[in-house]
Amino acid sequence: MAQSKISRRRLLTTAAAATGGMAFMGPWTHTRVYAQGAAKPIRIGITSDASGQYANSGASDRRGMMMAIAEANAKGGVLGRKIETFHLDTETTPATGSRVAERMITRENCGFLVGAIHSGVANAISQVAQKYGVIYLNTNSSAPSEAGQNCHRVKFVWDANGTNFAKASVKAAIEKYGKKWVLLTNDYVWGHSTSAATKTLLKQYGGDMVEEILVPQGTRDFSSQLLKIQQINPGVVAAAIGGDDQKAMRQQIAQLGMGNKPVWLNNQQDWPDVYGLPLDNLFGMFGTTWYYKLDLPGVADFVKRYQAMYPDTGMRVPGNVFYNGYFATRELIAAIERAGSTNNIKVIKALEGHKMSARDRMQHHDAWIDPVTHQVQQTIYQATANVGTQDKDDMFKIVASTSPQDAMDSDANGACKLESYESTPTFDA
Amino acid sequence: MTSLVPHLVNGLTLGLLFALIALGFTLIVGVMEVINLAHGSLFTLGAYLALSTIGAGWFAGTPFGIWWLDLPMASRYFVGLALGPVVAGAAGMLLELCLRPTYGKAPLYGLLLTFGAAIVIEEAIRLIWGTGEQNMPVPQMISGAFLMGGLIFSTYKFYAAGFAIVAILMVWLFLERTPYGAIIKAGAHDSEMVRALGYDLARLRLMVFGFGSALAGIAGMVMAPIWGLRPHLGIDVVIPAFLIIVIGGVGSFWGAVAAALLVGMATGVTGAYAPAWSLMSMYILLIAIVGFRARGLLGRRSALEN
Amino acid sequence: MITLSDIPARGGTPFTLPMALFVVVLATAPFWLQWVGLYQYLGVEIAIWILFAMGFNLLFGYTGLHSFGHGAYLGIGAYGFGLFQQGVAVSLWGGLLAAIVAATVAGAIVGAFLSHRRGIYYALLTIGFGQVFWFTAMKLHWLTGGEDGLLNIPRPDLVIGPWRVNLNDNAAFYWFVAAITVVAVVLMWRVVNAPVGRILQAIRQNETRARFVGYDVWRWKWLAFTVSAAFAGLAGGLFAMAQQSAYPDVMSLHQSGIIVMMVLVGGGLVSFWGPVLGVILYFIARDVLGGLTEAWLLWYGLIFVVMVMVRPEGVAGLIHTLARRAPPAVAPAAKPETV
Repeated sequence: MAQSKISRRRLLTTAAAATGGMAFMGPWTHTRVYAQGAAKPIRIGITSDASGQYANSGASDRRGMMMAIAEANAKGGVLGRKIETFHLDTETTPATGSRVAERMITRENCGFLVGAIHSGVANAISQVAQKYGVIYLNTNSSAPSEAGQNCHRVKFVWDANGTNFAKASVKAAIEKYGKKWVLLTNDYVWGHSTSAATKTLLKQYGGDMVEEILVPQGTRDFSSQLLKIQQINPGVVAAAIGGDDQKAMRQQIAQLGMGNKPVWLNNQQDWPDVYGLPLDNLFGMFGTTWYYKLDLPGVADFVKRYQAMYPDTGMRVPGNVFYNGYFATRELIAAIERAGSTNNIKVIKALEGHKMSARDRMQHHDAWIDPVTHQVQQTIYQATANVGTQDKDDMFKIVASTSPQDAMDSDANGACKLESYESTPTFDA
Repeated sequence: MTSLVPHLVNGLTLGLLFALIALGFTLIVGVMEVINLAHGSLFTLGAYLALSTIGAGWFAGTPFGIWWLDLPMASRYFVGLALGPVVAGAAGMLLELCLRPTYGKAPLYGLLLTFGAAIVIEEAIRLIWGTGEQNMPVPQMISGAFLMGGLIFSTYKFYAAGFAIVAILMVWLFLERTPYGAIIKAGAHDSEMVRALGYDLARLRLMVFGFGSALAGIAGMVMAPIWGLRPHLGIDVVIPAFLIIVIGGVGSFWGAVAAALLVGMATGVTGAYAPAWSLMSMYILLIAIVGFRARGLLGRRSALEN
Repeated sequence: MITLSDIPARGGTPFTLPMALFVVVLATAPFWLQWVGLYQYLGVEIAIWILFAMGFNLLFGYTGLHSFGHGAYLGIGAYGFGLFQQGVAVSLWGGLLAAIVAATVAGAIVGAFLSHRRGIYYALLTIGFGQVFWFTAMKLHWLTGGEDGLLNIPRPDLVIGPWRVNLNDNAAFYWFVAAITVVAVVLMWRVVNAPVGRILQAIRQNETRARFVGYDVWRWKWLAFTVSAAFAGLAGGLFAMAQQSAYPDVMSLHQSGIIVMMVLVGGGLVSFWGPVLGVILYFIARDVLGGLTEAWLLWYGLIFVVMVMVRPEGVAGLIHTLARRAPPAVAPAAKPETV
């Protein structure tokens, strides 16, 4: 990717010349007239999925970004400029992600792109974004490769990844539930890299992987795998099963009443995937980065703001996906403010290494943006189902928290090679 | 060492569920020679409607809704089991009306029209019920699990498999033992003759399509508690249904049932011994069988070949 | 209903009025795309899909063989291009050649399985094979990158003699794609208007009759499939360049169905140029409706259903019918020119 020499600025000016000074913007372009002297708005492209496997999480992600932007605009915007958004459905499809990113950058003049759930889509968008030098926030895709081999200078990763979650859970689980483990691995990139992290830790802490069961993506019936697990009878099953496969699996485990024995270790549990489901579908231990009932200052107010802004949403409390969407966008806006400029390189430098206090992010430990991998290093929580609750929304019980230092993915530093500043095209958004 | 027996039992139940999924699809292909790619969407539609019926859906909060939710789960479940398929059947009939201009043309048009309809139904479901995952509750008596040979099996799955056996036999009896069945089968072989005998072929087709779609709706309702409910569930249904038809042979009722059992067994057993290949197994089965037997296990010559 | 056979085939020069129009529109697009509210990258995708759809229509419209798994060959081409760049050498022509060869080989093997089949069995088997390829692409992650796709595929420079053009610029890349598409379309035009085209159409109209007349139907069907897969592979190679990645999802049943939709809506069954109209319509509908509503597919699906019901000849058929109804001032011989 280092060979991309064309600057976005040049491309836009050529385009402007070609269209006769942009006098006519075409039937589908919003033509806005700004008062003389008023600064033109900053445009943020929202690349969240609205259809496909992750449509539901995509909607939650987007609500988070919109709340951060609404709050910034209420305070007068950033650098005296209002923030405008443009959303297109990325369809949980990488090829669509590419096209959407191209359109947002070249036609919609978006200076920043925000949003992702699916690692393939995040990759596709970040490749295009890097080509034009446009800053892209991967809000919610948790594949370890995002901040490893597929990292980019313009991309910042806000969710904790499979390795972080494994580091936060494996050691304690061996001590508590025994050494005999079975790995249930979705047979694709995210599943493999997550299970690889678990395997390393098992070896390190003396656990014993009896078997790894590979589950092809698109599996809807887990009965044969579940029978096999019963035959092996392990103490712990570490599951890295994603998306629809996981939803179907959860339902089937609940039906069998296998939720408590063996102990299920679910790498990460996204809130939109379980919200509203019966509690017996939510078995075992799982990781998350935030919960709406964390006993910390500001949380209650945050939930109230959410409810005031989205009174009609089926999901009545914010979850981890919303949280990431919100904080990613808010930190981007703050970084523009700190940089005092919308120049992409200046904003990137303002984001790199930036520290965010625990109080600000409503987590137990301070977080920071890793300058080497561009991933946010943050607190990881372990949770279980909140059995016996009367509150339909209060589904999780947080049982432990791990500091970012302990959960850090130490191998990512070696795998990630960011492009140099010089080879990243520069422009002012 | 993992013992094979439980996996064979499991493969058998899986096969029965596959047969249930494919039943309506088989009927419509066999009788009308239309590949109904909207089968999966109708399946999903039936399940969502049943879900709304059980949970009082649009009436929640009204006096009727409150009275309704006071009824025992089981009775609501069985009303749902009736209502879901009825609506799916009605949607299927509407689809058949749309299909009429394509009769007598290449079978491709039926395929394309139902492909379009599948997209429309799926998007409509998304608009009405939202994109999120939903959970279909089941009455107490068929939920839970039981022990067999020291292993836990799902009660519901056996109920569903039993349901599949009943449904298969009923459809077979309907085709073989009722005058309707005779006419429908005759219509499949020689529509000219049926028309000459004075039967209203248009109504017959409408009925068959409605019936096949209702079967899709029933299957959706029965499978939803196992798979969960999402708007894009349809694709998970159409592809196995379709593979089963090809393996079994277009137009052969028992061919499809046999193919479903084979696919179930293959999935179940590979799921235990080579889990990474469990999904691929049905495609390998397809190529192995169709590579040697052009028309599948029990297929006969079909007008669709022209 | 009119069919492709109603359009007289002509030998001779492919430089007809529609061809001239096609070339001019394609060649000038970068100058007016922004003007009509579109953008350069969309032009690249449209040109690639036109190539794919036209190649597909050799099989679908002309030979009447209904492949529902054609996305697989586009995908194979894309992987072929990418793997060549990453595993062999960074080379533009080498990569495109690898894309064509990979798809041709896959098409030739599948075609050998398929060509004994007819009608719906043919379609069903194409779906089956399409699914196998799609599934394999997802599964072989050590080779293809699995569902994340094969990333960081370079766009090598175009070198002609002393000339070196950097294709990383979307406009330059667009012209490159457009030039290849035009060459391919001219080639296809020659094929369908040559005696070969008549044989393919004879197979579509009645396979048994074609066999009795003495044609080796199996061989022609196999050839049509293989050639069509080769064009798909070329399109796939260009697509990998456009996206600088190769993804499995273009190989899915859904995507393979969409290409059939495009060709049919445009009128590929009645006109050589049908697929072009279909691709343009689909892409613009997706971009414009998609920007307005998330449920755009609902509306497109409805339009498609109605179209299959009332006007399965598609847009090109509509134009053709209108031209036919026009006053007799239009000389019969000039008819095809207006399609």
